[in-house]
Amino acid sequence: NKTPSHSRGEYNVYSTFQSHEPEFDYLKSLEIEEKINKIRWLPQKNAAQFLLSTNDKTIKLWKISERDKRPEGYNLKEEDGRYRDPTTVTTLRVPVFRPMDLMVEASPRRIFANAHTYHINSISINSDYETYLSADDLRINLWHLEITDRSFNIVDIKPANMEELTEVITAAEFHPNSCNTFVYSSSKGTIRLCDMRASALCDRHSKLFEEPEDPSNRSFFSEIISSISDVKFSHSGRYMMTRDYLSVKIWDLNMENRPVETYQVHEYLRSKLCSLYENDCIFDKFECCWNGSDRQVYIVMTGSYNNFFRMFDRNTKRDITLEASRENNKPRTVLKPRKVCASGKRKKDEISVDSLDFNKKILHTAWHPKENIIAVATTNNLYIFQDKMN
Amino acid sequence: MLGRGLKRKLSDYEENMAGLSSAFDSSRNLPYPLKRQLVLNMCLTKLQTYKMLVEPNLHRSVLIANTVRQIQEEMRQESNQQPINVCPGITPSSHSYTGMESSGIPLQLPSGISQQESNCCDLRSVEDPIENSLLIVSDDDMSSAISSILKDLDFVEDISPPTCLVPTGDDQPKFPENTGLKLEDDRQDLKGAECVFGSFEISNSTSYLKDLAIDDIFEDIDTSMYDSDFCCPPLMPPRPPSLATEEPLKTFPSCNSSSASNIQICRTDLSELDHIMEILVGS
Repeated sequence: NKTPSHSRGEYNVYSTFQSHEPEFDYLKSLEIEEKINKIRWLPQKNAAQFLLSTNDKTIKLWKISERDKRPEGYNLKEEDGRYRDPTTVTTLRVPVFRPMDLMVEASPRRIFANAHTYHINSISINSDYETYLSADDLRINLWHLEITDRSFNIVDIKPANMEELTEVITAAEFHPNSCNTFVYSSSKGTIRLCDMRASALCDRHSKLFEEPEDPSNRSFFSEIISSISDVKFSHSGRYMMTRDYLSVKIWDLNMENRPVETYQVHEYLRSKLCSLYENDCIFDKFECCWNGSDRQVYIVMTGSYNNFFRMFDRNTKRDITLEASRENNKPRTVLKPRKVCASGKRKKDEISVDSLDFNKKILHTAWHPKENIIAVATTNNLYIFQDKMN
Repeated sequence: MLGRGLKRKLSDYEENMAGLSSAFDSSRNLPYPLKRQLVLNMCLTKLQTYKMLVEPNLHRSVLIANTVRQIQEEMRQESNQQPINVCPGITPSSHSYTGMESSGIPLQLPSGISQQESNCCDLRSVEDPIENSLLIVSDDDMSSAISSILKDLDFVEDISPPTCLVPTGDDQPKFPENTGLKLEDDRQDLKGAECVFGSFEISNSTSYLKDLAIDDIFEDIDTSMYDSDFCCPPLMPPRPPSLATEEPLKTFPSCNSSSASNIQICRTDLSELDHIMEILVGS
């Protein structure tokens, strides 16, 4: 379809900026980390890009703009900015724009602070492009992008007595088309769909999505692995995808009692849950994403361990495991499919479960909104892959 | 103004995580109660660790607490099916299945339990020693521990005004002496606990104490040290009450059986400690 403007496949860093700084909350004697939990782009309205970034407590709206020319030839100012003595001006000229080296500027436009007691895990921009939500473990707040000094609490699941707490919010997202609808997922594997028109505080869900537990898979860790780490609507808004520890599920918004599709990301880990609990890997929060808005194709992608990531084609029901690693892939080469051997005889080129490196986890992946280009984040590196050009 | 961020890299770990080596996963022949115990111990250890943190992770704490409750419920149902009432006095240790004496299960008998019940427990323990020791955990201990952790997580809002630990006669908790000795090993934990209570209200964790029967808290005390050689008990460093009640959750040296009489000898000494505790906590 599109012309090969990306055919060269080389990327350079466009801009780097410090979004958040570490803070110290003196009242609670706590350090607030500067670590960014989520980033969301706003739809582009002009030449500048806008994004929301959040750490545990504070959300910031950043404007990223380019400058590749600057005006020269002012009458009243020297080139270095000093004002000229008006009496020395003898001629008039029109200032002109001259090209300069590209400069990318990031400036904070809004800071949305002091609205979250617990750690923010999600932000989601509404389809009205005016409001957005932020979710922490127990509450979800609604903001207006222009207004920083107040937000509306729309979900609150904190019990009166904290001892009764058994469930937390793990992710939340606005519906892509319906600006009064959003969903939030929980640590118990449920998703609630809420309508903001129903009441100011959306404590009662409109829909509750939950799959009954498979008794044959029951273990001590059933609840932990059912905790949903990410929820993403499809572009049409008809489906949503959830990621729990071992699988990706596709839900039809019209059917609450079970997902329409389930894809196993790394089922070979099911027999290793205790070890993964011991080393805390069982709490890793993997994200998931849909392919770009190509109407013919429906692929979902998510990360795994050992720098592997997985793609599932909903149409063909095929899946593939690929690896993001410099050692095994030279640039411009086609990625080789990988396979994990769960048990028994290991075939050539397969890797056994016990050899997997659980330090090398891919938690974040993203798909270009229009092209078949993906970004995959390993612990220290960002990989960008694109579709093989024929 | 162009902001410049500093790129920081996570240090690459040299070795693989040795994570897939849990006995639970590798051994297929582990009996179910043993597996359950392993998991329970891990859960409790984790909760204990999180309690030391200034800001525990709420998501993880809730998941682990639910797992503990689930196991607890399962154990309770199993024990309800038993014909004989089981002693609530046996606490798991992480060495539970390796550290047990072969002759039978050493039981810590709270003074409140009648001789009748203790006989029953002994009988049962002889029949299936390992299972018995592993199955029974004081429900109240675990519930209290979970409650206290979750309550402590409510660290910002609704902070109630600090209240002193007020003695109320018989309800006054008495602190086990052996913890003074155990603290030699747990100094670091203690330090962490004190830091925790620097930011949390002590009152948050004392609320459940009043609901517990005195003896439930200290059923698992190793009272072997309480013999007549001890005239003066060592002075305990100040300890917030909730930490003392979580003692049962930590690993224990192998429990030795002791007679109820030893406990009687030391009650007066313990009340002295109580008095000191009040003064320290009240200030």
